[in-house]
Amino acid sequence: MTHASKTVARLLRRFWRGLRECCGDAAYERYLRSPATRCNSSPTLTPKEFYVEQLNRRYSRPNRCC
Amino acid sequence: MKRVLAIIAWLGVALLGAAALGKIALDRGEPLNATWFVVAAVCSYLVAYRFYSAFLAAKLLALDDNRATPAECHDDGRDFVPTNKWVLFGHHFAAIAGPGPLVGPTLAAQFGYLPGTLWLIAGAAFAGCVQDFVILFCSIRRNGKSLGEMAREEVSRRGGFIAQLAVLAILIILLAVVALVVVNALKSSPWATFTLAMTVPIAMLLGVYLRYFRPGRVLEASLIGVSLVLFAVVAGRWVAESPSWAQVFTLGGVALAVAIMIYGFAASALPVWLLLAPRDYLSAFIKAGAIFSLAAGILIVRPQVLMPPLTRFIDGSGPVFAGKVFPFCFITIACGAISGFHSLISSGTTPKMILREAHARFIGYGAMLLESFVGVMAMVAACAMPPGVYFAINSPSSIVGGTGDAAAATISGWGFPLQAQTMTDLAHKVGEITLWNRAGGAPSLAVGMAQIFSSTIGGERLLSIWYHFAIMFEALFILTVLDAGTRVGRFMIQELGGRVWKPFGRSGWMPGILLSSAIIVGLWGYFLYQGVVDPLGGINSLWPLFGISNQLLAAVALVVATTILLKMGRLRLIWVTLLPMAWLVLVTMTASYQKIFDSNPNLGFLSKANALAAQVAAGAIPAAKIAETQRLIFNQRLDAGVTGVLACMILVLIVEALVQWYAILSRRKETVLHESPYVATRWAADYSGAAHGDD
Repeated sequence: MTHASKTVARLLRRFWRGLRECCGDAAYERYLRSPATRCNSSPTLTPKEFYVEQLNRRYSRPNRCC
Repeated sequence: MKRVLAIIAWLGVALLGAAALGKIALDRGEPLNATWFVVAAVCSYLVAYRFYSAFLAAKLLALDDNRATPAECHDDGRDFVPTNKWVLFGHHFAAIAGPGPLVGPTLAAQFGYLPGTLWLIAGAAFAGCVQDFVILFCSIRRNGKSLGEMAREEVSRRGGFIAQLAVLAILIILLAVVALVVVNALKSSPWATFTLAMTVPIAMLLGVYLRYFRPGRVLEASLIGVSLVLFAVVAGRWVAESPSWAQVFTLGGVALAVAIMIYGFAASALPVWLLLAPRDYLSAFIKAGAIFSLAAGILIVRPQVLMPPLTRFIDGSGPVFAGKVFPFCFITIACGAISGFHSLISSGTTPKMILREAHARFIGYGAMLLESFVGVMAMVAACAMPPGVYFAINSPSSIVGGTGDAAAATISGWGFPLQAQTMTDLAHKVGEITLWNRAGGAPSLAVGMAQIFSSTIGGERLLSIWYHFAIMFEALFILTVLDAGTRVGRFMIQELGGRVWKPFGRSGWMPGILLSSAIIVGLWGYFLYQGVVDPLGGINSLWPLFGISNQLLAAVALVVATTILLKMGRLRLIWVTLLPMAWLVLVTMTASYQKIFDSNPNLGFLSKANALAAQVAAGAIPAAKIAETQRLIFNQRLDAGVTGVLACMILVLIVEALVQWYAILSRRKETVLHESPYVATRWAADYSGAAHGDD
């Protein structure tokens, strides 16, 4: 692979990762990686549980503005 | 050498910005090209960001990258999530950018393009961005505490209570006024009503998909949803062209208001994953796309700005809303220059995700600059259409006249030439029954956007599609503010009710959920209904009320910020927050006084009520209309009462703060700053939040 194509591939990877972070697709992976989850003795939430719990938390405080 | 080049480059940017500002401020010849507005705004923002925000970061706040942020200290993958600064900028901007910077400048265009544009640029640089940045910083240093909590700890207990009440009050008025904008956008428009109605089942479909089939796969679900919504925009034409279906979706103001109230109640009471969240995803995608397209469209088309720099209505006799350019230009622009509501996002959500203290400058100050730019684009879109058309769309029929010919004659008499046939042709081209008297800002902005978009792609043939795309975009993300706000209001009411009767405060108790949802919808629904039946169109009285409450909340945030800075020993630089605060207090107090007591019935609530009462007493009102008039009189007095209560709340808070400031400056009381203790960061200097083995 040439240097230029490597750079393009890296940039695309970065863009894709940023897009997933922005949309919230990567939220569950973040949760699994967080120190609190790794150290916690209580059972880790499943993707479904995490998705619903995260939404309930997000929409119970001001998160959209005028 | 590098330093010299940088100085020359920045000098060039500053001179270019000054030249563009000078051109739009002083040019009185041919219509200006919109490029001047873009250049003036962008150069001013660059200079403000590079120099003023750097000064604030270094001297006023002394941001410290060696200090661990709440996201690092409490990283739990849920609330506290260390986030890359570009991603967090996107989240923060999506949260703060609502309909305000689009609607406010569109309405303020009645004064001409100059006062609004100057305030959008200067207000953002010296007030709005400063508020967002300083509050974000204060909240980061306090583990992401909310504005109310900071007011309670740093000002006084009463100050905290007032801040919380102010938030609830602004929420109710905000929800009513944005709902009214949607009603006016959809009234008698089967195409737009059908498109917006379709977003509800589409969102529910996405909700089920994301909950049961592909949990958390927001990107793919949103792409499916956006495609369906765009199809609904096109399908709306078929509905509008079918006589039987068009009848079903042609609704009057009251019917639309009831439908929106039912929607708000459902979004608040139903599980959040089913309706509210998926609609929010759709809205975020379409919002980003539409704002980007508008910017690109303006740069490609470079339309002429046809509105004069100043109109005769700076004297307060404007048809869109009453009141002189001071203070009502500032009250009307509101969110595009400074918005109190932003302080709720800057304290609470964003500070828990920030990676380093230095990012607060880019996210707090930078995101507000971008919001101000959205406001400037809305101003350009509104001013790029012929002024006669602008006033025809935004003026109530009770002012310009009930028939097309009468209204065209009135508007032409103001010096803005207009033929009634022009409006008929324009309505036909955009696929609407009528464009007369569509106050609220949304239809005129949609006409402006559609003209810019169609000049880029499709020409006049696609004007109707672009118009309905713009209406759908505005209504979609206004309803997102409405449903998210109703749900937050429901929680606030449940919390307040829970203090009186415990079970009411339990978040999972269904009767409590239903009752609190009904109360919050009833509260904003009342103001919405009042606006819908108002003969002046409602926007006339409700938008200034919203502007006043929003700017009062900004004053609350700046009072809290000033108190904290005083406690930090920044007396020499206290003007940074004190001057915008004093300006906001001056503007809001003048506006409140005029809205309550002015002797002009079009402006003062009480004089309007008294004028109507005198008409009833003199027997000038037909018997059939007496009950309706009595209701109008009550509403005017209610609006006066609400404005008075809001103004009193901020005055009490200022007195509380002044007592605090006196105690701090005279050293009568030991200064206690409620900052979290210093913890050194464990992250390397180049850690960008992208890591965890990804790159």
